Amino acid sequence: MTDLAAKVTAALERSVLPSVIARGAAVRVVAVQDRIAALEVTGSPGAVLPLASRIEAQIRAAVPEIISVRLVAPGAGPPPGSAANLAEQARRILDAEINPVIAAHRGHVAVDGADQGWIRIRLEGGCQGCSLAEVTVRQGIEPLLRARLPGMTGLADVTSHEAGTQPFFSAEKR
Amino acid sequence: MTATEPGGETAASLAAGLTAPRVLLLVPARTYRAADFLLAAGRMGLGIVIGSDGALQLGGHPVIQVSPGDLQGSADRIMARIGPVSAVVAADTPMLALAAAVAARMGLPANPAEAVTAAADKVAQRRRWAAASLAQPAFRIVAADASEGCLQQAAAEVGFPCVVKAVSLSASQGILRADDPATTTAAARQVRRILGTARRPADEPLLVEEYVPGQELSIDGLLTAGDLAVTAIFDKPCTPDGPTFEETLLTTPSRLPEPVLAAAVATAGRAARALGLTYGPIHAELRIDDRRGAARPTMLELAARSIGGLCSRVLRFPGGMSLEELVLANALGRPAPRRPAAGPSGVLMLPVPQPGVLRAVEGRAAATATPGITGLTITIPIGQRVQPLPEGDRYLGFIFAEGDTHQNVEKALGAARERLRIVIQ
Repeated sequence: MTDLAAKVTAALERSVLPSVIARGAAVRVVAVQDRIAALEVTGSPGAVLPLASRIEAQIRAAVPEIISVRLVAPGAGPPPGSAANLAEQARRILDAEINPVIAAHRGHVAVDGADQGWIRIRLEGGCQGCSLAEVTVRQGIEPLLRARLPGMTGLADVTSHEAGTQPFFSAEKR
Repeated sequence: MTATEPGGETAASLAAGLTAPRVLLLVPARTYRAADFLLAAGRMGLGIVIGSDGALQLGGHPVIQVSPGDLQGSADRIMARIGPVSAVVAADTPMLALAAAVAARMGLPANPAEAVTAAADKVAQRRRWAAASLAQPAFRIVAADASEGCLQQAAAEVGFPCVVKAVSLSASQGILRADDPATTTAAARQVRRILGTARRPADEPLLVEEYVPGQELSIDGLLTAGDLAVTAIFDKPCTPDGPTFEETLLTTPSRLPEPVLAAAVATAGRAARALGLTYGPIHAELRIDDRRGAARPTMLELAARSIGGLCSRVLRFPGGMSLEELVLANALGRPAPRRPAAGPSGVLMLPVPQPGVLRAVEGRAAATATPGITGLTITIPIGQRVQPLPEGDRYLGFIFAEGDTHQNVEKALGAARERLRIVIQ
């Protein structure tokens, strides 16, 4: 086990594991790679998944070197297929469930690529430079993709929002 | 019997600690503040429910549709859909009244609705501060249908130079200095035109008030049960003296003498309480009136929100916390560090220099490369029509800087601005 994995394990055992066990589940460190910790969850998913963001916050607070935490099912291993596969899966989900909705605001989201579990998206049209773009990404797109793509580590918005020429909403100074 | 876990904590307390508090974040469509609040919530591991008048219903975390103009209906929709939350936070001014209404219905600590309403109305502010004997400019309220004679009398009573203000606008929009009766008449006409363009009620009065010379500063703080904890004090080294009142350069921490700052903070706290504000962020603007031989903090305006635009990005608190994290922590009843941890820093808001269509902002790379510059954001899209103050309500963008001295911060911001070429046609 690497030093970083040992640190994550210690943080997990100290501040997370007892509560997870008390809720009827278990969680352990299966890998730490590229500063991303993968935690295997066994038992009741309902005991752990609602805590996912808090677990990540606690581990990142205890081990600042960690930039992201992934929860994986037993035996999940690496996500199926390649980065291109992940990008294609994301593209299909966005085209089916996000783009038809944001078209109402003249917007469109395109997948720019995927790398090591990170999916890069680019907002276009009315979404590019929109004052609510972050709401669209963090409250709409990201949770949807996280729920559908277990192999996803994170979502990066690589849009040049300053270059947007027709944002649906523009900010006002108050 | 309670099982004790390693480290002395109980399973119950750990479980409670692991359950992310849910916060209702009310986000107006036209705000600079959405991204910073969402980033702050993410860093704090909070569960966020969005209420918005602009965000779309997407698959992840459905948005509750609200309208600031329909408080009752919006509050009803929220109460029907949201479930338990630990705090309600308005990301920007248009959502303040709704946040107060919803928090009150949930039994959460919040400002009284009438206090939020008063804080959004410059006439109500002046009246309440007068009743509390707070230092503020002499003022007169001029009704929408008042004759020119009434306007002139009001100006004569407060004395020249005076300031003609719209009561419901912000960001220095609809504010003009007048030096004599003729310019007062012209200023009033211009402000009324601006109000018409902004679709304000036709019966909205104007404020005519004394022009207070002196160093301007802003105080940001967080109220808890009426107690003000200061989070940041900005000096405005280029305090404008009219005829328009662009906010351009802000630097922090303040270089004013400590006794003056203490008096200013006390004045801001009294001003907030006089409005009835008790919880959450405030942003107060004051001038140090030194006309009578003593530095006298004088209230200009106060808003029940944190500093506007992207200005908060220049602030960093112990542990790397942002101002938005402090606002969220305050709403959750958590203690938070107060004064920023870093050294001198500043932000330069880029005013619109002339009306027209923004065609280009050239020289960004050179401006960003200026030593001391930590960020540059242009916030108006190329191709959009722009208006300078007093008609306009937006700034072209923001330049941020840090330095070992205030002088170096100002120098960096000035040099970066010089490297930008703004093309408006």
